[in-house]
Amino acid sequence: MRVLLVEDDASLAEGIARALRAEHFAVDVAGNGEDGGHLGATERYDAAVLDLGLPKRDGISVLRDWRASGRDLPVLILTARDGWSEKVEGFKAGADDYLVKPFRIEEVVMRLRALVRRAAGHAAARVTCGPLAFDAQLGTFELDGLPLKLTAFEWRVLSALMLRKEIVIERGDLIERVYEGDADVDSNSIEVIIGRLRRKIGAERIETVRGRGYRLTAGQP
Amino acid sequence: MRFWPRSLFGRLLAIAGLSTAAALFFAALTIGHVLERFVMRGFDDRLDAQVAVIARAVRPDGTLDTARVVDLAGFDEQGSGWTWQVDGPAGQHWSSAAEPIAVPRTFARAGEPRHLRHAADFIPGEGRGASGEPLHSRTLAVPTPAGAVVVTAIGPRRIVDAPIREAMLPLLLSLLLLGFGLAVATLLQLRIGLGPLRGLQASLAEVRAGRQRYVPTDQPLEIAPLVAELNALIDQNETGLTHARQHVANLAHGLKTPLASLALKLSESGCDPDGSLGDMVRQIDGRVRHHLGRARLAAPGGGRRVRTLLAPAVTDLITVLLGIHAARAVEPHMAIDPDLAVAVDPQDLDELLGNLLDNAWRHANTSIRIDAALMGTTVIISIEDDGAGLDDAAIAEALLPGRRLDERGDGHGFGLSIARELAELNGGHLQLARSPRSNGLLASVTLPAR
Repeated sequence: MRVLLVEDDASLAEGIARALRAEHFAVDVAGNGEDGGHLGATERYDAAVLDLGLPKRDGISVLRDWRASGRDLPVLILTARDGWSEKVEGFKAGADDYLVKPFRIEEVVMRLRALVRRAAGHAAARVTCGPLAFDAQLGTFELDGLPLKLTAFEWRVLSALMLRKEIVIERGDLIERVYEGDADVDSNSIEVIIGRLRRKIGAERIETVRGRGYRLTAGQP
Repeated sequence: MRFWPRSLFGRLLAIAGLSTAAALFFAALTIGHVLERFVMRGFDDRLDAQVAVIARAVRPDGTLDTARVVDLAGFDEQGSGWTWQVDGPAGQHWSSAAEPIAVPRTFARAGEPRHLRHAADFIPGEGRGASGEPLHSRTLAVPTPAGAVVVTAIGPRRIVDAPIREAMLPLLLSLLLLGFGLAVATLLQLRIGLGPLRGLQASLAEVRAGRQRYVPTDQPLEIAPLVAELNALIDQNETGLTHARQHVANLAHGLKTPLASLALKLSESGCDPDGSLGDMVRQIDGRVRHHLGRARLAAPGGGRRVRTLLAPAVTDLITVLLGIHAARAVEPHMAIDPDLAVAVDPQDLDELLGNLLDNAWRHANTSIRIDAALMGTTVIISIEDDGAGLDDAAIAEALLPGRRLDERGDGHGFGLSIARELAELNGGHLQLARSPRSNGLLASVTLPAR
């Protein structure tokens, strides 16, 4: 899961990014509305955390532009503005959730996971695929009822596949959801991660669709 | 010591009353005087004619040739009050009266015979007869080689007094009527003239009560500049309040971001082992939110009561709450007439209903009902959830500022008390009770309809 964090307070942005990364999220940080707007419009993110009072461009106008240009990524507004009229304005501009500062970071993580899960079309918090189960609320994987230990990269790849189970995810799409914007991406590294995941959950669970990408499948019954 | 009444009405009335009374008094005096002179002239002419007739009968030696004396009409009747008398230079005395009447020497105003000796004019005089009746005289000094002969004709004053009285009575009555008319006109003038001031006071009261934004500018020329200044003052006041609110909001928002950073740092392992620092951050946050809420309450929202449609406002808030509380499967049921509107600033309405709906959402098990009905000049909005509800003690507690019965989520903790204050600030009120239908909490807000 890759998240765009648009927050002008460097210290807060750093704190949130650190906390999100600890929960396996890939995080890109933009320090102003202009950069944030540009990143959200051009890069692929699973969700965005958007402050409203931003330098250069206000968060509301950034959000409106995203929606106007068809960007439907889930957006969590994280702001100091706590008036109900401001919340209404935020939702009217296209926000999916709204959290007021100061906040508990667990709340941000939980809400982001829920947003990504709902955007992928899963109403329930628990997503299963054969013996594999993903608690999208807690962010934990189980295999045959036992906790599955994963690295951050493995978690990002598997959660992306899990939320789109039985559907082919293009390789480029997967890479975009796994690596942060400024990461040095080795073109073969995604294969390395897929290989490690196959060893953990069973090679037959992740199919390679030649020329297109990967698919997580429950396999033939 | 205060000479003037405090009210403008009283002052203007006093000035108008005093000046009218003085003018009427002066008019009565002048007209009376002119009238008296007019009537007196006829009287004097009669006396003067008699004096002239007698003067012709005066001989050069200072004696009177009584054979040549002719008594004109009135003088020929004894006891009519018309008499004449002649005083010769040697002390002789002639008179028309059977018994000479004791006319004092001072009868003539000029008095002294010495003066009369050389005077050629008729001298008027006033006096009283033997029985005390007022008399009027005309005296002429007729010069002779032997000395001046003083000829006096005397007539009864009542001859002129009666017609003067007859003429003065209707005149005074007319003046009295005129005075009454002027008094009515003055009262009317003051009432109409000072009307705009009363209107101005009523308009200002409307502004203060929030039913009008400005004092109407369609005013008389003399008041228009005052109204313009008043409206400018209203604008200045509003701008000042907006600035102050903005500063409070900026301060609050400015504090929240570093506060969020601080909370985040504290939540990272090891920084706050017993959670006391986190509690302090939450306390600071609570106070910031509380005072931000209070600053919003102090807004001149009431000063610009607009027509805010209820249904769209509630629909927008439901959209927000469905997003914020997406994790809770609560279904809202709204039944509000789309034309129903309240006289409340849209932001105030959002804040009021947002807090109540948020509270309902937090406590509802499965559903929330939002109804609104027009009751005369008010709109009653009911928000009821199917949660556990509150007992009477908890309801009283919930409406106290800063109390927080619910520790779940990021509730403001004073949502209900803020909602109550907002309702009251906008001329309504908030009531909490147990819902008879769902057994949960029923919040009823009464607001002025528009």
